[in-house]
Amino acid sequence: MSDTMRYVISRIITTVLVLFGAMLVLFSLTLFVPGDPARVLLGPRASPEALQALSERMGLDLPIYAQVGRFFGNVLRGDLGVDVISGRPILNMVMDVLPYTIALTFAAIGIAVAIGVPLGCYAATHPNTVGDRITAVISVGFIAIPNFVVAIYLVLIFSIWLNWFPVLGVSRTGGFWDQLVRLVLPATSLALGWIGYIARLVRSSLLEVLNENFIRTSRAYGISENRIVYKYALKNAAIPTVAILGLGVGRLLGGAIFAEIIFARPGIGSLIYAAINTRNYPVVQAGVLVVVFLFVVTNLLVDLSYSKLDPRMSRRGGTGGRMP
Amino acid sequence: MKTLISRRRLLQGGAALGLAGLPFAAPEFAFAQAGSSVTVRVDRDLQNLDPARRIGSVEGNILRATMRRLTQFAPNSFEVINDAAESMEQIDETTIEFTLKPGIMFHQGYGEMTAEDVKFSFERFNNPAEGEDPATYAADWSALERVEVTGTHSGRLILKNPAPALWLIALSDISGCIVSKRAFEELGSERMKTTVIGAGPYEMTNWAPNSSITLAANPDYLGDPPMFPEIVLLPIQEPQTAQLAFRSNEVHFTKLDSPSAAAALQREPGTEIINRDSINYVWIGMNVQKAPLDDLRVRQAIRLALDVDEILLAAWDGAVGRAHALMAPGLLGHWQDAPVHAQDLDAARALLAEAGHGSGLNLRLTLLNRPAYQTAGLVAQAQLAQVGINLELEVLDGGTYWSMGEGEAGENLELSIQRFGGKADPSFQTQWFVTGQIGSWNWQRWSSEEFDQMNAVADSTVDEAVRAETYIRMQELMDESSAYIWLTHEVNLFAVKDWLEPAILPNGDDWQYAHFAPA
Repeated sequence: MSDTMRYVISRIITTVLVLFGAMLVLFSLTLFVPGDPARVLLGPRASPEALQALSERMGLDLPIYAQVGRFFGNVLRGDLGVDVISGRPILNMVMDVLPYTIALTFAAIGIAVAIGVPLGCYAATHPNTVGDRITAVISVGFIAIPNFVVAIYLVLIFSIWLNWFPVLGVSRTGGFWDQLVRLVLPATSLALGWIGYIARLVRSSLLEVLNENFIRTSRAYGISENRIVYKYALKNAAIPTVAILGLGVGRLLGGAIFAEIIFARPGIGSLIYAAINTRNYPVVQAGVLVVVFLFVVTNLLVDLSYSKLDPRMSRRGGTGGRMP
Repeated sequence: MKTLISRRRLLQGGAALGLAGLPFAAPEFAFAQAGSSVTVRVDRDLQNLDPARRIGSVEGNILRATMRRLTQFAPNSFEVINDAAESMEQIDETTIEFTLKPGIMFHQGYGEMTAEDVKFSFERFNNPAEGEDPATYAADWSALERVEVTGTHSGRLILKNPAPALWLIALSDISGCIVSKRAFEELGSERMKTTVIGAGPYEMTNWAPNSSITLAANPDYLGDPPMFPEIVLLPIQEPQTAQLAFRSNEVHFTKLDSPSAAAALQREPGTEIINRDSINYVWIGMNVQKAPLDDLRVRQAIRLALDVDEILLAAWDGAVGRAHALMAPGLLGHWQDAPVHAQDLDAARALLAEAGHGSGLNLRLTLLNRPAYQTAGLVAQAQLAQVGINLELEVLDGGTYWSMGEGEAGENLELSIQRFGGKADPSFQTQWFVTGQIGSWNWQRWSSEEFDQMNAVADSTVDEAVRAETYIRMQELMDESSAYIWLTHEVNLFAVKDWLEPAILPNGDDWQYAHFAPA
C-alpha cells in the first residue's frame, strides 16, 4: 500500500470518528437543553394524550442509552427519520434547503477570491506604500466588522436606498437570473470577512515567495514583473489560501445562518435554527449531521488536493506539509 | 495516466459548482403576476395543516382561507355567520341542527361536501382513526357526544353538556373546518399534514418549503369569489427583515412587533399603519406556592411597588393601554369596574416590614427574550429596588421559557412576565388559571376551588348574563390573590400597502385572507 493510500484511509477513518464524536456531543447537549420538546412543538392547547403520543414518537420516553442507540442505528442505515410534526422525511427537508446553502457558500467564496486575491497581490507588490496600508486597513476592517452589520447596511443601501437588489434572498419565480440577483447581497455580506482574510494571506504568502531564489533568478533573466508575480509567484503562494478556502467552505456550509435569517433565505442554517427554537431535535440532529459531514469531507478533499496541486508533496506522501 | 488538478482548474471547478447549485435550488414555484397577488409575511413555515393537529396561526390562517366551516366569523369581527351551512339552529342546550348548502365541491375533484364529511371532521377530534395521533385540539370538541347524519346535507350535533363556547372556539374557528372524508381515506392522515383538500375560496396550489406558500382563488368556490386571485405567504423569521421587505415592496402586509417599528414605517409613502386594540393579555405573575411569595402581604407589596403606567411607557412607548383584569374590553365578562392599583411605595414598605422583609429580599423575574419584556423587566427591577427588593432578571429563549411552568422549574419559578393570546369566548382565557393547569400553564400555581367551580359553570351555561357575572367574579378572585399584575391587552400593529384592506380578527393573530380586498 502506498503512503498516499495509507494517508487517505487514515483520513477517512478520522473523518468517521469526527462524525461520530460530533453527533455524540450534539446528542448529549440536546439532553441538557431545558424545555419539553413535545410541549414546545404542540403549543398550549395540546391535549395530554397528544403530548404523550408525540413524546413516544420522538422516542423521548425511552432511556437515554436507547435514544442514542436508536439514533445511531438509524443514521447508519441512512435513515434520518420523519419529522413528527409535518410527517415529512427529514432527509427531504434537509435536501430541499441544502442547494440554497451550497449556492450561497460558493458564491460567497467566489466573491472573496475574486476581490481578495487581487487586493493581496497589489499589497504584496507595493509593500509599505500608501496603497498597501489602505489595503491593510480595508482588509482588517472587513474582518473586524460583524457580518450581520454588513448585511443590514447592504440591505439599507442597495435595496432600500438605491433599489438595486431585492431584500429577500429567495426567488419566487425560480428563474436563474432572479436567483442570481437575490444571491448578490447575502453572498457579499458573507464574503466581506473572507476578502480580508484572503487579501492578508495572499499578501504575506506572496511576499515570502517573492523573496525566493527562483524569483530572483527570473528577474535576472529579465522576465516581466507581472509574469513573475502572476504566473510563477502566485501559484506557489496559493497553497495556504486554498487551505483557508477549504476551511471557509466548510464553515460557511453551516455558518451562513445569519445571512439566511436576515435575507429570509432557505438554508441548512435557518432550518436548524428554527428546529432549535421549537425543540424539534430529530431535525436539529439531522441538520447538524449533514453540516458536520460536509465540513469534514470538504477538509478531507482540501487536504488530499495538496498532493494534486503540488507534485512535490505527492512524492513526499501527500502529507499536506509546507513546501521545502 | 497521471492527472494533475491545476489551481486554476480548482477555482474554476469551485465556481462552476456554486453556479450549478443554483438551478437545483429552484423547486417548483407558482408565478405571481404583478398586481394580481398579495404578498403576506408569516413568521415561520407551515408545519401541519391537519385542522385537528395544526400548530398555530400560520396553519390556521391558511385553513381559514382554504376550508369551509358550518359557520364562520364575519370580516374583522367575532360575529358568527353561516359559511357552508345553509341553516344552523340550536334546538336545545345540547342539540344543534345543520343543513349544508348543496353543491359545495372539495378541491381536486374530491366530490361534494356532505353531512358525512361534517361527522368525520368533528368526531375525529375525540376519536382519531387507528394509527393516528390524538388530536392536539381535542379540547375544542370535548363537549361533542356525536354527530348524527339525517340526510345527505343535513345532520345534528349532539353535545354531552351545554357548551356555549362551541360556536366561537370550535364551530366557527379552525377546529370547525370540514375536511374531505374521502381525501383522508385515500391520501392518509400523514399526507394531509402538508396537503389541504378544502372547499374554501382559496386553494393551496404550491408550497416551496421555507420559501413560499401560494393560495390561488378556487374557481369552483360556491360563494362570492375572493378579491385577489392569489395570496402568497413568505416565511420571514426576522421582524426587521419583514419591515425591510415591506419597504422594498416585496411584502404587502406584515404584523409589526413594536410601536417603534410602526413609527418608522409610518413615514413610508403608500403605507398604512393599522393599530387595533387586542384581546391578548400580558401580566406579571407571582408563584403563590414559592416563599416568600406565598405570603399575600409580599404579593400585595410588590403590586403596590410597581408603577404599571411607567412600565408601559418604557416598554411599549406608551402605545398600549393598561389592562386592569383578564378580559379585554368588548369581551363577555369584561370587568368594567376592576380596581386600578396605583403605586404606593410607603404602603409597600409597610407590608414588607409586616411580613418580616423590612431589610429587603431577593427575587427572580423570568421573562422571554423580547425587547419589550426585557425593558419591562428592567423598569420593574428599578421600581422594586425602591422598596428593598433586589430583582434578578432571568431572560430566556422561547423554547426554554415556555417550559418553565413544568416540574421542578415550575415549582421554583418566582415572578414571570407572561403573555397569552385571547380568543372570542372568555372560557378560552380562563382555562389556563384553573388548578388542573398547575404544572402546565398556571405558572402562578394559584388554586381556588371557587374559581374552578365557577369556570366549570360558566363553561356550560348558555345564559350570557350569568356567564358575564360569573367571569367577573372569577376575575375578582384573581385580583384578591394579588398574584396577577395586569399590564396590557396590547395593540395589534400592522403595516399594509395603502391599496390593500386586510381582514384581521380581533385577537390580531387570526387573518382572513379570503376577505382581503382592494382599499
